[in-house]
Amino acid sequence: MHKIWVVLRREFIARVRTKWFVLSTVLGPVLMALFVFLPVLMASGGGRERSIAVLDATTTGFGARVTDVLNTGAPITASRMEVELVRLEDVADSLAAAVGVKELDGFLIVTDQTVADGRAEYRGSNAAAQLDMEIMERFVARALLTERLSDLGVDPQKVTQASSIPLNLQTVTIRGGEATEQSGETTFIMAYIMWFLLYMAILLYGVQVLGAVVEEKTTRIVEVLVSSLRPFELLAGKVVGVGAVGLFQLLIWAVTARLLLTQREVLGRMMGLETSAQAFPLPEVPVSTIVVLLVYFVLGYFLYAAMFAAVAAMSSSEAEARQAQAPVTLFYAIPAVVSLMAMLTEPDGALFIALTLIPLSSPISMPGRWVVSDVSLVELIGSVLLLVLGLIIVTWIAGRIYRVGILMYGKRPSPREVIRWVRAA
Amino acid sequence: MVDQPTVEINGVTKRFAGHTAVRDLDLRVPQGAVYGLLGPNGAGKTTTIRMIMAIIAPDSGSIRLFGQAKRGRELSQKIGYLPEERGLYRKMKVIDLLVFLAQIKGVNWRQARRNAVQWLHLLGLADWVDKKVDDLSKGMQQKVQFISTLQHEPELVILDEPFAGLDPVNTQVMKDIVVELKQRGTTTLFSTHIMEQAEKLCDSVCIIAQGAKVVDGPLGEVKRRHGGNHVIVAVEQGLDSVRGLFNDRTLVEKADSYGQYAEVELAAGGDPQRLLHGLVQSGAHVTRFEIAEPTLNKIFIDLVGPSAATASASEGVGDA
Repeated sequence: MHKIWVVLRREFIARVRTKWFVLSTVLGPVLMALFVFLPVLMASGGGRERSIAVLDATTTGFGARVTDVLNTGAPITASRMEVELVRLEDVADSLAAAVGVKELDGFLIVTDQTVADGRAEYRGSNAAAQLDMEIMERFVARALLTERLSDLGVDPQKVTQASSIPLNLQTVTIRGGEATEQSGETTFIMAYIMWFLLYMAILLYGVQVLGAVVEEKTTRIVEVLVSSLRPFELLAGKVVGVGAVGLFQLLIWAVTARLLLTQREVLGRMMGLETSAQAFPLPEVPVSTIVVLLVYFVLGYFLYAAMFAAVAAMSSSEAEARQAQAPVTLFYAIPAVVSLMAMLTEPDGALFIALTLIPLSSPISMPGRWVVSDVSLVELIGSVLLLVLGLIIVTWIAGRIYRVGILMYGKRPSPREVIRWVRAA
Repeated sequence: MVDQPTVEINGVTKRFAGHTAVRDLDLRVPQGAVYGLLGPNGAGKTTTIRMIMAIIAPDSGSIRLFGQAKRGRELSQKIGYLPEERGLYRKMKVIDLLVFLAQIKGVNWRQARRNAVQWLHLLGLADWVDKKVDDLSKGMQQKVQFISTLQHEPELVILDEPFAGLDPVNTQVMKDIVVELKQRGTTTLFSTHIMEQAEKLCDSVCIIAQGAKVVDGPLGEVKRRHGGNHVIVAVEQGLDSVRGLFNDRTLVEKADSYGQYAEVELAAGGDPQRLLHGLVQSGAHVTRFEIAEPTLNKIFIDLVGPSAATASASEGVGDA
């Protein structure tokens, strides 16, 4: 036990002193700050009035109605241009030139077809801006509805009145049978952040274990070490040491994040942003969520670190290890990505639930599920127990591969040889 | 017990996929001895040492250290081990590295630090205590490696090919260390395929080839058993002039010519006086005539065979 501690401490100190650690620890909060302030900066910079032309090739005066609707309701200044259908493309070309010199943001093309089957076209420099297009769509659709209803004999005045009341759907997440303060959107963002954080952290620190094992093997110091330590003590000290560096870094980040969140108004003012706390849609993180996150990070990290250590032990050089780790990384990435998709599309679906129970994918998917939906305690405990069981099996196998592999040089062992290593007493 | 051998190997066999690295090996290293484990590359020296250190387990047979059945790792505080493949953490400070390596042997931090500093001063590395291993020259790194082997004052020192890759200065440092260990009463076991070094340093040797023991015992005894009828001959005209005499199989068993002189092994019952008489009668001008013990190198080549001798001359190939 004492020897494990000595190895752990060496690993921790050696790693914390590296440039990589210092740099990533500092850059983490910088990225976080950007994450918090960038949307606000963008929101204050964006959302300006767009000026567009409505190219009206209709024979019914629909173009005029669209122009009206856009000018009155949307943050858009629209000017109508009447054009004959046969000359449409020529005029469009000349307007495109106007967009090119930034006289216009773009232009909307409406024809009789628009009224008949809803087909319209927008060309502009902001065509890729999601928000702008959503606004445009909403208002054109409203104009279209009014047009069609008045064709059916409804008073246009009444239609405008009826359709100008916007829908406001509030989403509230239910947890443990009770409604929470969180909206559906922020819950989802939280789950995504959890997924991303775990995915990166487990992979980053798992790969560090790979590097550490290969370093000991290529510098041949491993033989000195195993003459004083059992290979398992060496492996345990190393894996826990690197993991402790990971936790330490996460802790630094967590404290900074907490400061950023609680002091965001002050900091925002310092950056010259006129904003209130409400402008940052960031949810409060309950303690239970943090506990779940940490438990799954630690277990998941151990699981993959053991695999990476075994792979490194099988390789004789860094290049070889990089090659050999590809299957493990795929093994890791595929279930992770599948669980992200499952979380996005069907957070209560059977696939996602299964992924949160299977040891390979549960470390990354379960914390996300914990946030987005109501996980029963039985399920949580079951998932953790399965993960611990998987961890024991993987560590046992990895430990055996490691024990033999670290003293083997030369050609990479065949799968059959590796199986023999595992079987050897 | 006084006569308790420090290392005792009984009937040890180790097989790797396809070949037997060590076959039914018996070996005894007396307490306080400087013991040479000799053999060509691939003879099983490193495998034997790794089994003594319990880095790998024998397939059969037993190994006892200090009369105990404990494994080398559990006794690691009493053992200093220099592996054939040298290695250090390159990014660590010299002092931190040495303290770490002592700590994993169970030495406490304070003691480990004191020992390391003392040794660094002793080997002229006082200015490098706080430098990174990477900043040291190769020769200095070798010294750091020696220190890591010896700093915890082990009772048994095991050196696997200690002279391989050393520059002349460090070769001398290493020799001095072995002599110093001997004076302190430390038991030293080292492997080598360079016979000249073994001959100078060892009290006892064990020659192994292809995993099996060929001969072992105190150096003098081994020499007496395998020789005693060797004569060194040199003549002014060159050795070709007395070729006829060397071919007389009733007198000479074998003559190895080294150009300037020849090492002659007399046939059973052959008398050195008769050889000298013959040389004088042939008209040769004898410049050297010496009844000699065979060199360890000669015994080694005789026993192991010339093919192994060629292999032993090429350095740098790792043992199996």
